[in-house]
Amino acid sequence: MCVKRVPLTGGRIVLTEDEQAIETRHLAFTISPHEECGVEEAVRLIEANGGESVVLTLGPPEAEEQLRDAMALGIDRAVHLVSEGEEWDPQATAGAIVEAIRADEAANGSFDLVFFGNESADAGNYQVGIRVAYALGRPVATGLKGVSVGGAVVRCEQEVTGGRDVYELPLPAVVGVLEGLNLPRYPSVPAKLRAQRKPVDASTPTRPDSRLEKVRLVVPEGQGKEALILGQGPEAAPAVVEVLRQIGVA
Amino acid sequence: MLFARRALLLTRLVRMGKPVARASDLPARVRNEATIVLGQRKLLQRFVPGLMHAFIFWGFLVLFPTIFMAMIAIVDREASLPSGSPLGWLERQGWYAFTVDVFVVLVLAGVATAFYIRKVQRPRRFDGSHLGEADLILALIAGIVTTLLLWHASLIALGLNPWPGEWSPISDAASNLFGAGTTTEVLERVFVWAHVLLILSFLAYLPHSKHLHIGTAAINVFFGRTQARGRLEPLVFEAEDESDLRFGVGTVADLTWKQMLDAMSCTECGRCQDVCPAYATGKALSPKLLIMGIRDHLFAEGPAALAGGDLSALVPNAVTDDVVWDCVTCGACVHECPVSIEHVDHIVDLRRHLVMVESGLPAETETMLRDVERGSNPWGKPQTERASWAEGLGVRVLEPGDPAPEVLYWVGCAAAFDERARTAAISTAKLLLAAGLDVAILGPRESCTGDPARRAGNEYVFQALALANVATLDDAGVTKIVASCPHCFNTLANEYPDFGGRYEVMHHSELLAELVRDGRLSPVAGDATITYHDSCYLARHNDVLAAPRELVGRIGKPLEMARSGKRTFCCGAGGAHMWMEERGSQINEERAREAAATGADTLAVACPFCTVMLDDGVRQTGGEMRVADISTLLAEATKRDRTTAGDPQ
Amino acid sequence: MVYIDEPGELAQQALTFARELGGPLHAFAALAAVSVEGVETLHVAEGDAFASYAPAAIAQALVELVERLSPTAVVAAGTERGNEVLAHVAAKLDVPFAANCTRATPGDPLVVTRVRWGGSLLEEARVHGPVKLLTVQPHAVASEEQAAGDPAVERFTPTHSDADLVVRVHERVAAAAGGVSLADAKVVVSCGRGAGSSEGFGIIEELAGLLGGAVGCSRAVTMAGWRPHTDQVGQTGTKIAPDIYIACGISGATQHMAGCKGAKAILVVNTDPEAPILASADWAVIGDLHEIVPAISAEIRKAQTQKAERG
Repeated sequence: MCVKRVPLTGGRIVLTEDEQAIETRHLAFTISPHEECGVEEAVRLIEANGGESVVLTLGPPEAEEQLRDAMALGIDRAVHLVSEGEEWDPQATAGAIVEAIRADEAANGSFDLVFFGNESADAGNYQVGIRVAYALGRPVATGLKGVSVGGAVVRCEQEVTGGRDVYELPLPAVVGVLEGLNLPRYPSVPAKLRAQRKPVDASTPTRPDSRLEKVRLVVPEGQGKEALILGQGPEAAPAVVEVLRQIGVA
Repeated sequence: MLFARRALLLTRLVRMGKPVARASDLPARVRNEATIVLGQRKLLQRFVPGLMHAFIFWGFLVLFPTIFMAMIAIVDREASLPSGSPLGWLERQGWYAFTVDVFVVLVLAGVATAFYIRKVQRPRRFDGSHLGEADLILALIAGIVTTLLLWHASLIALGLNPWPGEWSPISDAASNLFGAGTTTEVLERVFVWAHVLLILSFLAYLPHSKHLHIGTAAINVFFGRTQARGRLEPLVFEAEDESDLRFGVGTVADLTWKQMLDAMSCTECGRCQDVCPAYATGKALSPKLLIMGIRDHLFAEGPAALAGGDLSALVPNAVTDDVVWDCVTCGACVHECPVSIEHVDHIVDLRRHLVMVESGLPAETETMLRDVERGSNPWGKPQTERASWAEGLGVRVLEPGDPAPEVLYWVGCAAAFDERARTAAISTAKLLLAAGLDVAILGPRESCTGDPARRAGNEYVFQALALANVATLDDAGVTKIVASCPHCFNTLANEYPDFGGRYEVMHHSELLAELVRDGRLSPVAGDATITYHDSCYLARHNDVLAAPRELVGRIGKPLEMARSGKRTFCCGAGGAHMWMEERGSQINEERAREAAATGADTLAVACPFCTVMLDDGVRQTGGEMRVADISTLLAEATKRDRTTAGDPQ
Repeated sequence: MVYIDEPGELAQQALTFARELGGPLHAFAALAAVSVEGVETLHVAEGDAFASYAPAAIAQALVELVERLSPTAVVAAGTERGNEVLAHVAAKLDVPFAANCTRATPGDPLVVTRVRWGGSLLEEARVHGPVKLLTVQPHAVASEEQAAGDPAVERFTPTHSDADLVVRVHERVAAAAGGVSLADAKVVVSCGRGAGSSEGFGIIEELAGLLGGAVGCSRAVTMAGWRPHTDQVGQTGTKIAPDIYIACGISGATQHMAGCKGAKAILVVNTDPEAPILASADWAVIGDLHEIVPAISAEIRKAQTQKAERG
């Protein structure tokens, strides 16, 4: 299960002076939402079928927090590719992950399933999982709201208008999941304490040059809106209905 | 024998109980024994039932030696106790005989009153109690003292009384029922035997009934909290062996010895139930039934626990889920309990197990816990916004490396993020600055004190927050803190010392009252009538009663509610209830109605939760009282011109 | 080269975007020709491989075209399928792929502005590579009318490896019938934690029903289990584009706003006049949603009965 540490941004995004990153002082961090559901799904699959689960991240030293969170949900061990803090572009990220997976598989056997979030909440590049799948020579389905394993096949469900599209991929495979796949559990404190002691295999890969090279970040201009206050409390209801009428919905 | 066996079992259970430190503060403990046990102080909080019990209790103390006198007399009627021995000397004293007589009457009067209360008045607090058991006990008590009286009377009739008969007028009068012949000799034997047999059967019955309290209550009172009532006992999360860790109470084996004593001391009097705001608004929780349930489960599974056998969980087998979550931790039950049972500890420990081990908690509370753990505040709002209420007020925001302020204003999450609670922060900041204090706030570096996490049962998250806050405060060199939220105040003052944080902590009402007294703030009183709602975490948990009232007195015309001071009625938000949906009728509406009944214009509060809950309560009950924090009212009063003093609106 | 997954507004936007890059414009579609204007050649890939959606197969077809025609860029609409297919192409060719772009300045390396955080942040980036793969953020570009004229249509059958054919849609499971779909609704009424419980959504459902709209919610609500994830409006939920979005008791975190940026108008009901969402709203009512929402529903009913009586 590959995860990424992202900040919880709240109502406003503020950039650092050099415009290279979001100002994260005083911000909380979490595993990107799609990936949280992936972690829960991985744990459930192991609970149902036996086996071992691993969580991996390419991130700064603080990202160990997210690895421990994932292990508190039930993941057995972690791999931490420690970055110095600057961003890795999606191709570089995928490359590092592929190397780490290959090394782990050589030592511990191959993974039946590799989970990714469909896209990370911050950069939203939509491609790391697919790149990793090609490099490993495995089939990949993304945008999934349902994953179930039976025999040597994983059944993947994607939501479309009017229903769900179903794929059946032979294992080993790669899947990209979306939030809504499941509702992650609330970890127990004994599980959290155990997670503190689970193994994390850390290494520091070298960052190649970016081919999708970030120049700077820009906060888009607000629409400059000042909401017109229609009133206070229920007395404002007639004014609201008038607005709705003008739009044509009431 | 039976008594001894049962007593041994109970002792073994208590000794198996998990540890809790209650040995400090010896003088206060002794004082409690004197006032609460001997002086029956808490019982006398309800005068007539209290007096009734006091008679019986004092009677028991006074009559205690007569038990042994009777037993010895069974063996040897003729030989009285040698006058040299203590008992022998005592039974010859006229004043003792007189006291015995008086107390026999008082005990009988007590029993009669008790029967009257139970059978005629039938107060609601007995709902759920074992009334039959109580009747039996009262009957036994009546029987014991009556047989004593009759025995003494027959002794006098036979001329065998070791004490001067004229000193015991009642026994003396009763002796006229008996002649001096053989019938009386037989009767004397009958009475003394009856007396002793009743006592012995009572003794055998005692540890199997709620009358056990006569053994346990005195001990329980000794070990009750003597200070920092608002402080919960911390858990330890580090151990060599994970199985040594205790995560609250899941089975009876997890109970601390104090909790076991609590359970064994309950007399089912129901005073706690009477004052519980949850019970009063139709919820499942009754503190009395909670303790009874734990007690019954403890006795049922105690032997298995001692033998190391399988145990069933207290929740839901002895106590249901909703009982555990209904509690607002207001402490009214603890305040009322005559035998110092600490119900809140039981609730919190049950919650700890549910939350930390079983992940079984209401969904909206889970959201709050996730938010406070990750985002450092229970509303999940960004910490970067924490000082936005202070924009333009000129309050110093403490950055790392800044000089320490004279006093740190701990704003709290509610005032930072809730629009109604914000006014208190703004008013407090303005007043403190106007008074010339060197005050600063931590701004985004202030995390939640952890009170809602701790009260919801997640001790782990609480401790992480506490340690982080202590580190921040110590780094900043803070020594004195003022908080406008009683929950923050309670946690900072009483609970942070367990985590290395020792500061001088005041509630804002205390500091503001001090500033007014010193003349640094000069309010002008207006005409508005003000009723002050005591916050549970101020009044009951921390004895802060006078300071807010001083302020109210300087601001307007005070009016007290019936349930005020330490008998205040909760607003409903404590115990993490600010983040729980309330089923049934609303605690805050109940209190709002009580406030409105005083006829006051304004309802003054000293807590952001009370502000929000009571403001909602007033609106939901169609009331028109203005609900405002004491700091806001004070700020208005300091701006009021002496010549135009009037209703502040 | 523009990949057209579905003809329509978003495809038009992609075409307009691609046009800015200069040079002759080609389009590509899988299985069937699509009607498209302003394009020199439309390439259509044929074969059983395309009977159902198979992203690797479509990507392989694009790869063959890229190798044959050497376009400067391959562009598609930034839909789920658009992003997926282009990511497959990127992986096959090992070239960079910039998803959800709002702007591109022609040149080499290409400078693009692309979207982060669902739209709350923009990134300026340089794309280095022999062919630039880009998808266009929906509604970031206004589509332009083109000169009429049908393109030349060239059909071809790409060669697929077995691996390309493995990932394909096997079946479609129909959704349970019901309600207006959130993504398509013209009116969305949503509520956040302020609802208090799942029962609290009753008044929201009532108002949505009266307006013929769908019910939405914030992430806090789905995490609490009060509403299913399908109701969640936000960056990781559903992105909506109604005529009006009525947001009750929602403070306006960026994650949520990313989901409702497409709304033409926003009406906010909140107790807090300082809530961030007001900076994006057209109108606001300050107060308790539990009082205000039923009052609005009552007014609507009143207006409806009056209209019925008159009509």
